[in-house]
Amino acid sequence: MNYMDGTEVKDGLYYTKDHEYARVQGDIVVVGITDHAQNSLHEITFVEISEVDTVVKAGEECGLVESMKASSDIFSPVSGKIVEVNTELEDAPEIVNEDCYVKGWMFKIKPSNLKADLAKLMKADAYRTFIASE
Amino acid sequence: MSDALKRTQLYDWHKTHGDVIPFAGWEMPVRYSDIREEHMAVREGVGIFDTSHMFRFFIRGPQAAEFLQKMTTNNVSKLDVNDGHYTTCLNEHGGIHDDLMLYRIGTDEYIWITNASNGPKIKRHLSKNSKSFDVKVIDRSSEIAMIAVQGPKALQLLSKIAGRDLSGYNRFTCYPVDIAGYDTYLCRTGYTGEDGAEVLILDCPFTDEGKKRAIAFWENLLAQGVEFGIKPCGLGARDSTRLEAGFVLYGHELDEETSPIEAKIPYAVKFKVEPHYIGFDTVRSHKEDGVKKTRIGFVMIDRGIPREHYPILLNGNVIGQTTSGGVSPVLNKGIGLGYVPPNTVNTGDIIEIDIKGRHRKAEIAEWPFYDPQRYGGSRTV
Repeated sequence: MNYMDGTEVKDGLYYTKDHEYARVQGDIVVVGITDHAQNSLHEITFVEISEVDTVVKAGEECGLVESMKASSDIFSPVSGKIVEVNTELEDAPEIVNEDCYVKGWMFKIKPSNLKADLAKLMKADAYRTFIASE
Repeated sequence: MSDALKRTQLYDWHKTHGDVIPFAGWEMPVRYSDIREEHMAVREGVGIFDTSHMFRFFIRGPQAAEFLQKMTTNNVSKLDVNDGHYTTCLNEHGGIHDDLMLYRIGTDEYIWITNASNGPKIKRHLSKNSKSFDVKVIDRSSEIAMIAVQGPKALQLLSKIAGRDLSGYNRFTCYPVDIAGYDTYLCRTGYTGEDGAEVLILDCPFTDEGKKRAIAFWENLLAQGVEFGIKPCGLGARDSTRLEAGFVLYGHELDEETSPIEAKIPYAVKFKVEPHYIGFDTVRSHKEDGVKKTRIGFVMIDRGIPREHYPILLNGNVIGQTTSGGVSPVLNKGIGLGYVPPNTVNTGDIIEIDIKGRHRKAEIAEWPFYDPQRYGGSRTV
């Protein structure tokens, strides 16, 4: 799967090399995995995110996504405190395959170092180039 | 060894229709559609797998049986012509060199079908050991394609294509059969837990003509199989179906340090054989004096998907490790296999699997993990 196959990269979001996205929404950041990630994992069967109130650093492992094929870790794109986890994914992890950017979000985080963390992430164009070259 | 990945006669088709990945030195399809859908096609209708990457050795000569008894653990003398059995090939310490299917196709001729990952190793092993026997070992892997046709409707499909009823060929037999003008060996075996066959399609060398022949056979299966709910299946479904059936996979449950007694495949091991096979004494002592580890199966109770190399805990103490794990599409739960010391757990006992630092409850379960009355080759409904 690659960008040329029609992978969706949304403008206005920030991206990690591990294929998480971060959407700044007021004073919180919504995190999920990208269309490219859900495509290559395919058939997602399980999502688990660290509990609410967990404090994480940018780049730190804070969850797990399982597909029919394999298991992958989720890394937080920014530092802060997890304030909400998408509990719908517990019973319906396939939502991540169907709509990773909206309904398939994984957790919300109250950032503690937002500006500096965002500066280290890729914007949409850079991420498009990144996945095309992978 | 060359780094170039090898391709089967069906590669061009896989590349066009599937998601192709490197596997054991080969470029193979991991899936064509959804692994879960492919898996359920095998359980409920029929699925086809390209297994041409496995190695096919033809072993012939007046001392073929004697040689093969030296090399393998099942009782070769029990094989009548056109019979086959599952067996293992051991190292001198009783560890498993490979597991394989052995078919007798003539008075002094056998087919040895071995794992892709172990092919080169087994080829050297057979070649070295055959020197003191009046026997020839011929590697015919590259001129024969192999397709596994698996599922409750597999024999109906093959019969339809052959234009005659093939269901009279019993399980574990291997007969030369004409299927739609192709010379094949119809091996009534498989690796999914379901009824079906592994079809050796002769005269399919890795040439344009050979590839065309193999692809035409494959596409004919797909076209004729529509009414049976056929799906082409990749390595993903191959692994999920074998795991759900509780079958061992080399490099996971089996390796050079593990004996067939430890792996709990006693049906592959016989002791009233002559000559004694390589590794005989170790295996007999494992059988008579006991083992240090034994294979177990489990079904997750808590949420979570087990994978290989996860610690297995009992009452908070690590007692072993998983060797395979994944999702059972039939149960919609995590399932796995692993090793623990003997007599530590029984069916129904609660263990925990350490899934990346999180301890999750699971129950020791018998394989197959599905209900054998509803699924699998001996289903009753």
